[in-house]
Amino acid sequence: MKKELLVAALSRSRASFSKGWYKFSRNPLSVLGLIILFSVILTAIFAPYISPYPEHAGAFTNFRESGLPPSLTHFFGTDSVGRDIFSRVIFGYRFSLVLAVVVLSLAMPSGIILGLIAGYYRRRWIEIVIMRITDIFLAVPPLVLALAITVMLSPNLFNQMMAISLMWWPWYCRLVYSLTTSLRHEYFVREAELTGASKAHILLREILPNCVAPVLTKMTLDAGFVITVGASLSFIGLGVQPPRPGLGTMVADGAKRLPAEWWMAVFPALAIVIVILSFNLVGDGLRDMFAVEEV
Amino acid sequence: MSEEILTVENLKKYFVTKQGTVRAVDKVSFSVKQGETCGLVGESGSGKTTIAHTLVGIYEPTEGRALFKGQNISKVFNQRPKALKKEIRIVFQDPGSSLNPRRSIKQILELPLKVHRICNDSDRVERVMELLRMVELPPEDYMYKSPQVIGGGEKQMVAIARALAPNPSFLVLDEPTSALDVSVQAKIINLLMQLQQNLNLTYLFITHDLSLMRNITNRVVIMYLGKISEVAPTVEFFQNPFHPYTKMLLSSIPTVSDEEENFKPKEVISRGEIASPVNVPSGCSFHLRCPQKMEICSRADPTVVEVEADHLVRCHLFSDGRKPT
Amino acid sequence: MTPLLEIKNLQVRFKIYEGELKVLNGVDMVIGEGEKVGLVGETGCGKTTTVKSVLRVLPTPPARISGGEILYRGKDILKMKPAQIRSLRKGEMSAIFQDPLAALNPVFTVGHQLYDVIKYSSASRGRKRLSKKEIRARSIAVLKETGMPDSERILSNYPIQLSGGMRQRVCISEALSASARLLMADEPTTNLDVTIQAQILRQLSELVAKKKSSILLISHSLGVVRNLTERVYIMYAGNMVEVARTKDLFADPLHPYTKALLKSVPKLTGEGISRGIRGRIPNYLNPPAGCRFHPRCDHMMPICEKERPAFFTGGDSDNHKVACFLCRR
Repeated sequence: MKKELLVAALSRSRASFSKGWYKFSRNPLSVLGLIILFSVILTAIFAPYISPYPEHAGAFTNFRESGLPPSLTHFFGTDSVGRDIFSRVIFGYRFSLVLAVVVLSLAMPSGIILGLIAGYYRRRWIEIVIMRITDIFLAVPPLVLALAITVMLSPNLFNQMMAISLMWWPWYCRLVYSLTTSLRHEYFVREAELTGASKAHILLREILPNCVAPVLTKMTLDAGFVITVGASLSFIGLGVQPPRPGLGTMVADGAKRLPAEWWMAVFPALAIVIVILSFNLVGDGLRDMFAVEEV
Repeated sequence: MSEEILTVENLKKYFVTKQGTVRAVDKVSFSVKQGETCGLVGESGSGKTTIAHTLVGIYEPTEGRALFKGQNISKVFNQRPKALKKEIRIVFQDPGSSLNPRRSIKQILELPLKVHRICNDSDRVERVMELLRMVELPPEDYMYKSPQVIGGGEKQMVAIARALAPNPSFLVLDEPTSALDVSVQAKIINLLMQLQQNLNLTYLFITHDLSLMRNITNRVVIMYLGKISEVAPTVEFFQNPFHPYTKMLLSSIPTVSDEEENFKPKEVISRGEIASPVNVPSGCSFHLRCPQKMEICSRADPTVVEVEADHLVRCHLFSDGRKPT
Repeated sequence: MTPLLEIKNLQVRFKIYEGELKVLNGVDMVIGEGEKVGLVGETGCGKTTTVKSVLRVLPTPPARISGGEILYRGKDILKMKPAQIRSLRKGEMSAIFQDPLAALNPVFTVGHQLYDVIKYSSASRGRKRLSKKEIRARSIAVLKETGMPDSERILSNYPIQLSGGMRQRVCISEALSASARLLMADEPTTNLDVTIQAQILRQLSELVAKKKSSILLISHSLGVVRNLTERVYIMYAGNMVEVARTKDLFADPLHPYTKALLKSVPKLTGEGISRGIRGRIPNYLNPPAGCRFHPRCDHMMPICEKERPAFFTGGDSDNHKVACFLCRR
């Protein structure tokens, strides 16, 4: 009997998955975004095996081959010290993606929990404290804040990640807060309260699952933005430090050689554009997937 | 059917808003007897839902109190003892919003069982299945479904099962069928009546549908703008309505047969609209719409008088306790 | 009576992930000139889809009109060009919906919205344009006709400032300001209190009589339809199952669905509550073959599973038609 129930439950979750995929895949661009994103992630993970010159990711020099334009041996050309830009872009993705993952996994949970608490205890001191702090963070331009923090500490990838995380949680706090303030008046929340369920149950089991869709969508879009911010900081030398290959650092180095040796800046820049674009397309697809259909 | 299980005494609930004080419930007293179905009827803005929400502890009364089995229950939910939460349960009007769309029906029904420690972990699934069978939903088909994929009537059945989960003795039914089709309503009402008999439940049934009241309640309380206009045993109430507002309500009901049409009081034609509870008319709050308005009505608020046994009216026409000739 | 609107074998389908919903399954309906017709059915039976098809406001896709004709004074609406349909909607047909707050634009005053409606509907008839003053005077007049108290003041109010009943009155005056020949009222009083419902229905019926318009009153409530209409259609799961003069239908319902529906309505005379109708409205992905009501019907016969019943004449009148094999002679 129990087994049958479990099988029924499983088949239902499979059905809802394929329905989700149906809605996601209505927009071919989202599927394209997903494909690009997956290949970027895979290349980043398997960078040492995929890139043609894995040793070029470090402090490698070969001045004989410096400044070569794109060719079959060097798809994206080589940089001023003769390193293969294609290989370095692949390794650069590693830093960008790690940055996105770390920042979001720090900023999102803290923002969500603070937002839940502030939204549920609306018009109490705890809401006022949390939301005013959030407002202060939101009032300062994020890039400037991250910049200041990174400079204050020492400029490296770890500090950059901490700085961006610190400026990113208020966005999730704000989003979840506004969702929670409306959800807490829903009758299912009332019912749980009247039954006598614990606050933890109400926040985590009743309200949070209803925030998942917008938060996931925002997360996907944000991953792109985080990468942009990270690249911008690297561009001004406050992120991945040479000789390690940060995408922003590479654009910065290449920019000095424009326009003659254009490939040094253009290809890393394109790499950034592609990953952000694919995150955005996937985000759009997720939004369509979670949208409630009307019939 | 004898002792009073719930007594509401001079209950007041005011809400302070920017527009002014909303007098949602204003000095309401009534009682519900063990095992009966008491109907609370009124149009939107009459305060009937506010009473329901105060009884289950969503609001704290501004003044007055409610007694349940002799115990004062005029407290909000987080100050109520668990045993009380188990005894008084509510079924909300909109089943779409009262069931969490992100939880399965099994999870929804398990919550009250877990909170009130009704049964141990191994028996819980059995109890959930029993509850579903009680509301005539085959457990195998429904347990793992999300409320999003079932019909409105079925959702309300699940909400009823959830209300019954901790074995309550008193159910507040806040317009449980007003969002549903009549054929579904009939099913749910039948089920509720059957459950009442089997489980010895007492109902406070809130609705705007007088025809429905006629068929299921023992007693009817009519409210207008936060105050009671008339209280009477159901049969007496429908055969011999006193208050002009009651007559207006009855004569406004759309009917489906000539017998019903003949049953309605003819003389009152509906006019005007219910006033805003922020700006309650002086004197009797109904006087602006009342066809039998007298000079005193705009000045003084009438008090509740017992015109016949158990038949209470709040109207100047009956102020001396007798029917007008 | 000459037919004003004639729906013949209308079929509408909706495409969704799981497949195609066969919602309207050959709907037939006639509304005569100046006639008051009711359409009763439960949630999800296709009432609103029918109205939207007539107004040509169904979103396509996901919807698709896969067959049938909708003749308005002999011309097929489904074959008209957008401009023709627009002019029909301007001056000939209008509709009132269940939720007046959604039908009114929240950022414009009532006066502004009425002004637009009157201006454009009068322009379409080739008459000379009305001056601002004339339009204002007409706005007040149409509001007064619906029993709106204080109509001059209401003109400068926003919809949010009005009560539900007043909003619906504004919608009715918008719909009738164009002196429409056909008014389709889709659950116009469902969200209102009974006392307000009684007022609105009374005024609606007086207005329609005065303007000699036809009305199609759509409701899930049998009582509402009984008091206002001359003829009633009963709809179930995308099919018309019974049509008769209102008096005949309520005195002598013939289709098992109509009977069960009438029994489910709680009566003021207090006859208890029936058990309702067993089962639920079918899934439109795979609707039952034959008569769509057969899985829920107490009088099911073998033929009901195979063939779709045509309209048979039943009862005492030739106008009483029932789509049920029980009435085949």
